Amino acid sequence: MPDKCNCENPLVPGIVEVFAIKEETPDVKSFFVRKPEGGLPFNVMPGQLAMVSLVPVGEGMYSVSWQEEQDYLQFAIKKVGLVTEQLHRIEVGQKLGVRGPYGNGFPVEDCRGKDMLFIGGGIGLAPLRSFIKYCFKHREDFGKIQIIYGSRSYDDLCFKDELFDLWPQEKDSEVYVTIDNPEEAWKGHVGFVPAYLEELNPSPQGRIAVICGPPIMIKFCLESLEKMGYSDEQVITTLEMRMKCGIGKCGRCNVGSQFICLDGPVFNLAQLKQLPPEW
Amino acid sequence: MKVLSKNRLAEAFDRISNDAALFVPLQRNNQSGYYDWKSFDQERDQLQLEALNTYLSPKEVLFPQTERMYSFHSQGSEVEILASFADAQPRVIFGLRACDLAAISALDDVFLTLGYEDSFYRARRDNVTLLARACYQPGPYCFCSSMGVDPVAAPGADVLIHDCGEIYAWESQTPQGEALTNQMAGLLEDKEVAFPALQPFSRIAPYSGVAAKLKNMFDHPLWEELSSTCQNCGICTYLCPSCYCFDIQVKNFGEEGYRFRCYDSCMYGEYSLMAGGHNPRPTGMERFRNRFLHKLQFFQERYGKPLCTGCGRCIVACPAGINITEIISKIQEVDDHAG
Repeated sequence: MPDKCNCENPLVPGIVEVFAIKEETPDVKSFFVRKPEGGLPFNVMPGQLAMVSLVPVGEGMYSVSWQEEQDYLQFAIKKVGLVTEQLHRIEVGQKLGVRGPYGNGFPVEDCRGKDMLFIGGGIGLAPLRSFIKYCFKHREDFGKIQIIYGSRSYDDLCFKDELFDLWPQEKDSEVYVTIDNPEEAWKGHVGFVPAYLEELNPSPQGRIAVICGPPIMIKFCLESLEKMGYSDEQVITTLEMRMKCGIGKCGRCNVGSQFICLDGPVFNLAQLKQLPPEW
Repeated sequence: MKVLSKNRLAEAFDRISNDAALFVPLQRNNQSGYYDWKSFDQERDQLQLEALNTYLSPKEVLFPQTERMYSFHSQGSEVEILASFADAQPRVIFGLRACDLAAISALDDVFLTLGYEDSFYRARRDNVTLLARACYQPGPYCFCSSMGVDPVAAPGADVLIHDCGEIYAWESQTPQGEALTNQMAGLLEDKEVAFPALQPFSRIAPYSGVAAKLKNMFDHPLWEELSSTCQNCGICTYLCPSCYCFDIQVKNFGEEGYRFRCYDSCMYGEYSLMAGGHNPRPTGMERFRNRFLHKLQFFQERYGKPLCTGCGRCIVACPAGINITEIISKIQEVDDHAG
């Protein structure tokens, strides 16, 4: 089992300092945080969540896009609302509140020895990235690694250096990138992720598919994978709902009787089919 | 059996109030609820000892409408958490009905089990003494027995009292109840008493089997019909003794501030609206359906009991006349073998 929030009070944040900020896209920034005295506020497993607060402004739940050893956490955050708008204005040195980790995370142990197919859309690559980098870090534990990723435009592609330079260089890996609409300078694939997935048609043999993106993309990809012969246990997704507490109490992130913050955010398709499609 | 004479009640209240905040059912202005006995004002307040349910439920005592979580100091890029709050003041709730007591048991399930404990609730819960009142005469909106609640029993209460005319029969049920009983020394007498007979319920909700049946009714057209009059005002969620959803917000005064939580309602669009605009429950129908499924199916699946204890407050308060017992009946009437 991944770590759960082990702080004295799971609703009260600890303080971290932003020591680096990287612009990923025009509206996505990565924030690198560690405790003011150095080190991690807590350990996270791939796919787990943390509540980040610009303390006087508000809190938001984000997936941790990477934990670098015992050094720092990285959050890739898209500017979409009140809190993220303010977060995008902070500078290096800013102190933030952070509490967590929350949620179940990806079933990394169950994926050991399997070929991995990661399917991402837009900022949905942020949670997948923690698992992708985990696979590359523990390269011998996993088979072939394929990544299909798309966004609206070239500019909106997150983690470009990894997508185009680092990940394709890794042993036995393939990276497929697509954008929604043609652009003059873009020589790669154009089209939506689910269609690209069907076109590439990776065989379900010995493979686990992990999906994250906008809900509509996830729904279409689930259908595509079913068509392609993937069993319900071979398909994993990570969901997002509005969250406030992170510990399964405040109510709003329920899908049926399950809470995304506590029982999720990661579900396989077999589990998802037991729940109402309300996400 | 120990009994407390009703004409010594004020004396008992004063004595309890010396050591704890005592919450008693009062009619106050145009509302009723459980208020601190020390704030009792004859001009304004009237004890509600005969009334079955107060308009506001006693959940407020354990889970207040707004509650500070922690305070902070913030200046420029610096921020410091100053204090995390825990309200461990001793409290006594006098006169809880079985439905409200069962609702507290549901709140206990939510806040104290499955993964995490909520420290704010824990601090209050550990320091409250619950004194329940048996109900022998169910009211016109009461249907607790349909939801598995025994109106004359009080599992989990520290003391259970029975209204026997001029006196209350007084039964201590826990060590905490014994302590309260000892505090009443000199006010309680020993007497033979006969409890009243439990009168029949006029309202029945055929809940048996509903949770299982609802599993296959998520897309049923019944939800459109049932929700068509709902205004999503949220009064049901505020008055419900077992509704517990909360929001977390922040208040700033210059460099000082605090984060607090407050009741929220699944009836509102903002409740599940995400930054970026996606809302998994975009219309009133989805929100209505989620509320009733939570009450009747989801909570049952998660905690083994419904999240409705049959107090009837929502039936009284709903401006659109939505009635959860009728909803349960309509679900029961659906022919799920059709087609």
